[in-house]
Amino acid sequence: MSYTLRGRIESRLAALVLPLAACCALSAALHRWWPLELCGLMVAVGVALDLQLYHRLLRYQPGWVALPLGLLELGLMLALVHALGLEAPVVPALLLFAAAWAVAQGLGQAGFPVLRLSYATDGGELGRIGIVSGAAVIAMLASAGGYWWYRLPPVVHLSAGVHQGPLVIDRRERLVGDRGAVVRGGIVVRANGVTIKNVTVVGGENGIEIDDVADVVLDGVTVSGFELDGIHVRRTAVTIKNCEIDALGNTYAQGIDISYASDKRDSHVMGCTVVGGQEGIVTHFSNASLMDNRVSRTTLRGISMTEMSMGMVEGNEVRDATGVGILCNDHSMCMIEKNSVIGTKRVPGSEWTGGYGVLVAYSSEGELRDNALGANPRPYGAIVDSTLSSR
Amino acid sequence: MTRVAIVGGGLAGFSAYQTLRRGGLAASEIAVFDEEPDPAAAWARRAAAIGQTHMRSESDGHCLPASFPGLAVREARRRGSAAPVLRSLAGRYNPTVEEFLDHVDELRRRSGWDESVRRERVERIDVDPEFFSVGGVEAPHVLVATGHPGLNVPEELRADPRVVHAYEPHGYAREVTVIGAGLAAATEWVNALAAGAAVISVRRTEPVRRRLNVPREWFSRRALDGFHRTAPPERAAILRTLLAPSYPPGARWDEPLARAGARFRIEAELNGSEQVICATGFLRGFQHDPLLRALATEHDLETFNDWIVLDPDSSVPALTDERRTLALAGVAAQWAFPAADTLVGAKYAARGLLARIQCRTR
Repeated sequence: MSYTLRGRIESRLAALVLPLAACCALSAALHRWWPLELCGLMVAVGVALDLQLYHRLLRYQPGWVALPLGLLELGLMLALVHALGLEAPVVPALLLFAAAWAVAQGLGQAGFPVLRLSYATDGGELGRIGIVSGAAVIAMLASAGGYWWYRLPPVVHLSAGVHQGPLVIDRRERLVGDRGAVVRGGIVVRANGVTIKNVTVVGGENGIEIDDVADVVLDGVTVSGFELDGIHVRRTAVTIKNCEIDALGNTYAQGIDISYASDKRDSHVMGCTVVGGQEGIVTHFSNASLMDNRVSRTTLRGISMTEMSMGMVEGNEVRDATGVGILCNDHSMCMIEKNSVIGTKRVPGSEWTGGYGVLVAYSSEGELRDNALGANPRPYGAIVDSTLSSR
Repeated sequence: MTRVAIVGGGLAGFSAYQTLRRGGLAASEIAVFDEEPDPAAAWARRAAAIGQTHMRSESDGHCLPASFPGLAVREARRRGSAAPVLRSLAGRYNPTVEEFLDHVDELRRRSGWDESVRRERVERIDVDPEFFSVGGVEAPHVLVATGHPGLNVPEELRADPRVVHAYEPHGYAREVTVIGAGLAAATEWVNALAAGAAVISVRRTEPVRRRLNVPREWFSRRALDGFHRTAPPERAAILRTLLAPSYPPGARWDEPLARAGARFRIEAELNGSEQVICATGFLRGFQHDPLLRALATEHDLETFNDWIVLDPDSSVPALTDERRTLALAGVAAQWAFPAADTLVGAKYAARGLLARIQCRTR
């Protein structure tokens, strides 16, 4: 087939009408944006390549070339998914792409030529069908974008200065702190879809408390001076990133505690710094990935996954913990990879505080890979019916 | 009532007929004029004469109006194997002549072709302000698909008793001179060598090696839009370049010549061979076709060199208006579609005609 530029774009958009409709339906059914985000990327990547590359390079495109071009588009799409941080599950995303590609090939090789006799001679142009399909794709993407925009929570700016708390958020919103915005006495989240960004919290029983809600994001929060937990999460899947928690001097506090959320989606804690307290980051009965955090000077454990928790502990740096650096405990399953645990101190008298870099305990399963365990009295160990394996 | 008259019942007329039928015209609305009712007869004779076994174009080189399903799908269905389709996707499927002819037969039976054919030779087309008279039939739309006007034998060889044209039935002497550099010539080299003859290739220019005579992009608007915007001298120059003799690259053609060693040689001039095969194709130009020549002369049609000047949809501007259409298909339509002498070209002309008919119907 020797496409004109218009023919390429019309054929592509017409072939994407069906997959895009499926993505809309899937997004609506799952209450997730990733199917639509993927379809949007498919459109963007495809049209960009049509404009910038394919039209210039391929004066004639034999049928088999669709395969390498499809792989190229898939590669670019996966790179963009990664770069944009989209949370699309890999297998369904690949299946979606493969299905869309197959539909496009079926239509390009068989459907369009049958529908429009002059399809090949017209260089892939589809006449009215092309215009209607293009409009349909734009309309679907615009509608989805509009809905996304409409669904965006209102942004509440917290001005610089000290605001007396506790601050209770009981509606969907984005709370964005201006530089120097401080809440004294803690924040309580009681609504779904809340984002808190760039806010400093001082004091409170818990610095930030989140209980039985959904879709909560904490980004760039700083918490200090609390009594129990810096960030206290119950029955909620959260995303916490780039936070700073100071529990120095509070021997019994916990930096971040995510508990009883095993029936929720995965929680994520990324790029946080926790200093002091009894435990830096701890999960109970939850699914979580704890990645690229820095935890130091805790008095019992640096990072803990316990009580039938399951997840990934990756790329964290744990320094100067007393007792244990990273603990996988009580029927939990932990993938512990590429962490650095240094300078753990031993407290004589108990195995639980025996100075392990990594300890797997009480019928738990730990899988270790590429960890740097240095200056710990015991680099790693497994106790009480637990297994420790390495890849 | 006859709505379309097709003058010429060869493969070009037949492919155009299939397209018109698909476009909604009934068999009774189309009259096809040809003395020979078998649309593939002339082509099959020529293919047999040069010993052609496979089609040069791939799976869309068939007479169906849509490119899908092509002959690859048909063969895949018949053999219960996906191999032909996969080869077609890889651009490596060349159906056999037998497969192609069988498909033509099937389409002929299915489409009502024989119902539309009138076995007579059309000597002239009379032009009325509202219709054309063709072989006693009045039709508002006429498609002239008379095909190649005759075999081309260089004038200086016409009286030479050793000479036979490649498209005429022939065997091979012990030493054969083949004149030409296109697919027919290449086929003759290979066949004569296989028959044990020594072959001398006489050619004016080195053959061009390409898979199709006219490159693929010239089958689509990608190149056609620009082509249609060219001035006549430029367009004629493009056509001459595109129509230079060529044959496909590949071991199928090269290996027999390499294996032949001294039995195959190239010479500049004709020598004393026992047999001279002219693989020099067909006469070129509308002037060689009495019907087209008469039309051009009587109606003072615009022409340029060998071509009648056509609109992009293959219609003749001076004989086409809101009520009637006279269009050309086949080799005579190269002014609108450089690959007009292919099946795709015939369908292109038919679609152009169909668009005019449908436009008027609406």
